[in-house]
Amino acid sequence: ITLIDRSQPRGCTLACIHLDGGLAADLASRRSAETRRLVLSQRRLPGPLPPGLARWFPALEVLDVSGTGLAALGSELLSLPRLHTLLAKNNRLGGPGSLPKGLAEAPLLGRSLRVLNLSGNRFAELPAALLGLRGLQSLSLGSNRLHSIPPEIQELRSLEFLYLGGNFITSIPPELASLPSLSYLVLCDNKIQSVPPQLAQLHSLRSLSLHNNLLTYLPREILNLVHLEELSLRGNPLVVRFVRDLTYNPPSLQELAGRTIKSRNVSYTPGDLPGNLLRYLHLASNCPNPKCGGVYFDSCVRQIKFVDFCGKYRLPLMHYLCSPECSSPCSSASQSSTSQSESDSEDEAIVAAHRMQKVLLG
Amino acid sequence: MEQPVQTQMWKAQTLEELVQILHHLFAGDKVNVAEVQALMDSYDSNPLEWMQYAKFDQYRYTRNLVDQGNGKFNLMILCWGEGHGSSIHDHTDSHCFMKVLQGNLKETLFEWPNKKGIGEMMKKSERVLRENQCAYINDSIGLHRVENTSHTECAVSLHLYSPPFETCSTFDQRTGHKQKVRMTFYSQFGERTPCATAVLQENN
Repeated sequence: ITLIDRSQPRGCTLACIHLDGGLAADLASRRSAETRRLVLSQRRLPGPLPPGLARWFPALEVLDVSGTGLAALGSELLSLPRLHTLLAKNNRLGGPGSLPKGLAEAPLLGRSLRVLNLSGNRFAELPAALLGLRGLQSLSLGSNRLHSIPPEIQELRSLEFLYLGGNFITSIPPELASLPSLSYLVLCDNKIQSVPPQLAQLHSLRSLSLHNNLLTYLPREILNLVHLEELSLRGNPLVVRFVRDLTYNPPSLQELAGRTIKSRNVSYTPGDLPGNLLRYLHLASNCPNPKCGGVYFDSCVRQIKFVDFCGKYRLPLMHYLCSPECSSPCSSASQSSTSQSESDSEDEAIVAAHRMQKVLLG
Repeated sequence: MEQPVQTQMWKAQTLEELVQILHHLFAGDKVNVAEVQALMDSYDSNPLEWMQYAKFDQYRYTRNLVDQGNGKFNLMILCWGEGHGSSIHDHTDSHCFMKVLQGNLKETLFEWPNKKGIGEMMKKSERVLRENQCAYINDSIGLHRVENTSHTECAVSLHLYSPPFETCSTFDQRTGHKQKVRMTFYSQFGERTPCATAVLQENN
């Protein structure tokens, strides 16, 4: 069924029309300066979209070519001055040239496009052609063949909605956290093994979907997402037992010197130290133990602690502490650093000092 | 009103007719589950009849009240965006019928956790319900999770609960811990009804 929307300025009426003859002839015969929505979905198109599309429907705002078998979207789209929503789900897009060259640079479409749905196609990587779409608010690439998310995703400055469920993604680039307006992030049904702590910078995030991945723990920074209302974690091999990292390597002399400089606020200027040491000092992380107030560089104890989250979950969160004597502020009895105090749930084993187990990081 | 000896086979031609027949079937005190299920099965989903209730939310599935069944039942339409799913939940001693109106929904059945509520919950079975298929569950059968596993298509389902209930328990699959939650309506009778409370809604 092909539906052509005969829009009035407000609202629309949908009519089912059986089109005979070639697609170009059909569309040309229905050209209209008022049509705002064109839905060609669920009909196998004989070939690419005709080049005359923008001439025949200059007022087009929504184009739906889902389920039409298209292997490429071409330059016929670039001169649609008002197109804000492009739906091309369930097609054969993904090979080189699937998207028009110069998409992001197109003076009209590059700025007008707000919603792009390419789910159910064959993209093996996020198409570079998209990255310049600075006005894009909603992007869906669910059920494709993505193995990674490029760090350049941060160029999509207006992105609020990002759907990447059902791919083969193994990790999340920290650059994703630079998207200032992201409120809905879907990464379910992938192969993600860890969540970068930087994700906690997504202050606008309301919903985070991580179910059916390979996560064993989350970074403790996830607690900073105060606006988070939806969090799905089921189908992950989250560790259920309290564990402590066995392999604590004592700090190097460089580390000890660095710690002293930071914790005693020893002043220095760029001329005092070689560049590599200046960079090193810059990378200090703060120990979350409120009584410690120290810093660490490379040598730290990794510890999984269970934290009540949203009043509903006991999440295993990874804490990095500067020494085995430190204790993070998240435990319910944080004053003592003995192992007894740190297990506070019936489903966690009490780990005695002599039976430390290796952290299961998957 | 006497219970009929044989299960009558009803056919609902439209959603409106379905509601009318439901009012009739629930007029008495007893529910003939097979009859209600057959009726729900018989209705061939027609989007034009229910689209006014099908209000989607970007972040999670929605519950949209269609009819209150004279206090005997609640009939509602649930709208599931791509990837949206529910917690594992019970049905507060009520009958629950669920019919898919559009798309597909995966239903996973779970055993009740043991009394202590410790340890991973046991999955009983799972199935995918297709358009127009209708499932039934109550607490004696077990608990379930319902989800739209599609990343490209939305799903819409028609739910009937009798007696109506406003709270249920949700369960953490990893531990069996349960928590009571209050359920809210995204819309009622086709009108959007925002929820004032800031209480965390059921999650998974």
